[in-house]
Amino acid sequence: MTPNPWTKHYPSEVSPELAKVPFAQLPELLKAAVDLYAKTTAFTQVMPNGMNGSLTYAQIDSHSDNFAAYLREVVGLKQGERVAVQMPNCLAYPIVAFGVFKAGLVLVNTNPLYTAPEMIHQFSDSGAVTLIVSDMFADRLPEVLPKTKIKTVVTVKISEFFPPIIRGVIRIVQRYWSRTLPKIQVPHTWFQDALSQGKKARNDSVADSYLKGVTKDSVAALQYTGGTTGVSKGAMLSHGNLVTNTLQMIAHCGTGMRPGKEIVLTALPMYHIFAFTVNLLGFFHIGARNIIVPSPRPPSNLQRAFDNYKITWLSGVNTLFNALLNERWFQDAPPKHLRASAAGGMALQASVSERWRELTGTPIVEGYGLTESSPVLTFNPLTGLAKDGSIGIPVPSTEVKCVDEKGKEVKIGEPGEIVARGPQIMLGYWQRPEETKGALKDGWLYTGDIAQMDADGYFTIVDRKKDMILVSGFNVYPNEVEEQIAAVPGVLEVGVIGIPDEKSGEKVQAYVVAAAPAPTAEQIIAHCRENLAAYKIPHGILFVDELPKSPIGKILRRELRAGAIGSGSKAGSTKKGA
Amino acid sequence: MKSIMILAEEVANEATVVNEFEQTLLRIFILIIMFGLGAGLTPKDFGLALRRPWGLIIGWVTQFGIMPLTAFILVTFVLFQFDPPPGVAFIALGALIMGSVPAGTTSNLFTYFSKGNLALSVTMTVNSTLWAFVMTPLVLVFYSRLVGLDESLDIPIGELVTVIFGLIVPVGLGMLVRRLSSNAGSVLELIGGVFGLLFIPFLIAIWVPRNWQLLLTTQWPTYVVAIGLGAVGMTVAYWAAKAIRLHPMNVRTISLETGIQNGPLAIAVIVAVYIDNPGLDQILLIPALYSLFIVLLSTLVTLWFRRANVAAEQKIPNLL
Repeated sequence: MTPNPWTKHYPSEVSPELAKVPFAQLPELLKAAVDLYAKTTAFTQVMPNGMNGSLTYAQIDSHSDNFAAYLREVVGLKQGERVAVQMPNCLAYPIVAFGVFKAGLVLVNTNPLYTAPEMIHQFSDSGAVTLIVSDMFADRLPEVLPKTKIKTVVTVKISEFFPPIIRGVIRIVQRYWSRTLPKIQVPHTWFQDALSQGKKARNDSVADSYLKGVTKDSVAALQYTGGTTGVSKGAMLSHGNLVTNTLQMIAHCGTGMRPGKEIVLTALPMYHIFAFTVNLLGFFHIGARNIIVPSPRPPSNLQRAFDNYKITWLSGVNTLFNALLNERWFQDAPPKHLRASAAGGMALQASVSERWRELTGTPIVEGYGLTESSPVLTFNPLTGLAKDGSIGIPVPSTEVKCVDEKGKEVKIGEPGEIVARGPQIMLGYWQRPEETKGALKDGWLYTGDIAQMDADGYFTIVDRKKDMILVSGFNVYPNEVEEQIAAVPGVLEVGVIGIPDEKSGEKVQAYVVAAAPAPTAEQIIAHCRENLAAYKIPHGILFVDELPKSPIGKILRRELRAGAIGSGSKAGSTKKGA
Repeated sequence: MKSIMILAEEVANEATVVNEFEQTLLRIFILIIMFGLGAGLTPKDFGLALRRPWGLIIGWVTQFGIMPLTAFILVTFVLFQFDPPPGVAFIALGALIMGSVPAGTTSNLFTYFSKGNLALSVTMTVNSTLWAFVMTPLVLVFYSRLVGLDESLDIPIGELVTVIFGLIVPVGLGMLVRRLSSNAGSVLELIGGVFGLLFIPFLIAIWVPRNWQLLLTTQWPTYVVAIGLGAVGMTVAYWAAKAIRLHPMNVRTISLETGIQNGPLAIAVIVAVYIDNPGLDQILLIPALYSLFIVLLSTLVTLWFRRANVAAEQKIPNLL
């Protein structure tokens, strides 16, 4: 086999093949960090007003041991049973996630903002029998639980492990001020009670047996994803998938991630695969301090975290970086200690990455991955050649290529669907052999993303296959149009979709969130005319207050399309059309 | 003028002067409120404000330009025009003080509710508070001379500066606490905010019943001045900010920030400086009425502002 073209671009300290993985399952990976960094602060949760609580590596370890014992001894779960976890970023999250792994159970991360039907689908599809849920979101349970197999509910407060007075104040504010604590109408156990019950029931000689038979090929998590078809299905991520991807990511960063020295801001939700692997597992493994923020929206929620901690790393999506760049406090005092930022989840716009580098003076590297690949497949090397607008080169021990409709590799520079092979690729979709067959062929994961590879082995995403707009037979990639519109001064955010058109089959429609003073639709179209071929020029520009976004802030074109087709031109509330 | 003075003294003697217990309570209130204001700040905030002086300049102009001028105009063209009541000079002085004091911390709360620019609001409040010990005496002396009050009512500038300065000290202490412990700082910030709100029920419980008679005999021009000060201030600032094409969010913020004065501070200053003055109750009349009505007014304005805003609600409150 000819060496992959990207191999020569790995920084000198990065080996193209990952050394033998010394950890059989996630608990071993975690333990390695706990042994080294026991007294170091592992997680600090920061509320928007600066209130905070922290836990050390040793505390995380012992609490998660207790929680594992609770799940196995008190609840009586058996190895391989599913535990659904539904909470925003908080100190309880790592304890719960790690506890589930230590107990030999399967983690089912669930978006807390899900509606009742979405919860019912995910819980019943995964067959979850226990639910760990934030008390702020427990109001939907009476409707949801009867339609699932869930028998045990553990409720978590946002203020767990904060100093007592602070905990009380947060409780009071939640109860009487923001009224975000619904009455919990189902039988449940408070998280702290679960921990103390677990502590009592804990027997370390028995605990070892929880993982008996759990190998690198055992399922560790069912990570739900819409995928290409839209029906939410669980990607089976094994212990091996997650352990290897964590190590691949760390290896690829080379000297960029300094063991025991990093302070990483975790603004993205950890129930999402990006922050789950990169921040929760990756930075934990190198002994970093994770500054976790329950909600990055509005972006001013991050101000105290930046004020009070010497953030060295930030992981985010285009929307988050863009939002920060538009915040006055951030512009005026960019983080001094920042060393690097990782962007993923969606295309990083050139205008955003340029402004980011200019303002912070630090690199922002774009990467790429899917839930199905645990998620990291490629990213730009931190040292050495980083290419703007590119998703970089594959992480060690990973093969990536672009293929045509028949599965044949296309020539360098030609667009084709990205397929990937490596130890991080999922086992398949949970109980969906048909879908699995569609996604995994001969060990290759078919991503549904169109990209091209250059002679150096750097990949550049052209677009999602399904987002492609077909205007009179010409392919229009929304990313390209969005990129141009985003560069118009006064444009804060933009989403581009195709809508049905009698004449051309589809036509390009842009949704724009503008700053004040707002550019006119004519100005935007004029800018597009200068930079894009005629068939790519948006037919309409709609100014909206907000764009629909996924929990990590990815702009949801699917919802824009549904809105556009369903009710004329309604997406958010339209201020003025053009 | 002399006859007015005599009448005023008679009226004042009937009313009960603020007693020592209330004074102490008032001081505690204002200290906690100012402490909370400081606890919400980091030195970085000042750096930020200095780097973008436009917000500060606008705030400074609206605070010490529009508000005192509004007070002056209302006093001259409303209060003095229609059948001036006895003790009108004291009432006028109260109005001018109310117009000259810095912005109140409750403006931050209303800005939050109206989905304005909270950072700008806090910066403006702090800026005007820090400027107060220079600007408040300055504009006060200027307008009181213009009205012609200086001969009948002595404004002890030195004392005024000392009192206001004394009230600013807790802001610095609050900042220090925030620096030492983010947790303690944010608790104090919350407590300060709560006390800023409690001030109104405090006023209703303590001041209103005892001055019921005074309120009943108070004539409508006084009410017009007390309510008009906030209403005119908000309206003028709103259109001024809009005229220079600021972002709607900042326009809302500047409007509220300008109209909402620091009522507790005005009252604390008056009690400290004029405690022995027989016209104390009349001087306090407009600041007290203003403080009562501004809550109502700000609530209405906030409801109106909110209608113009459809940003998504978030589960985790900004307050935390």
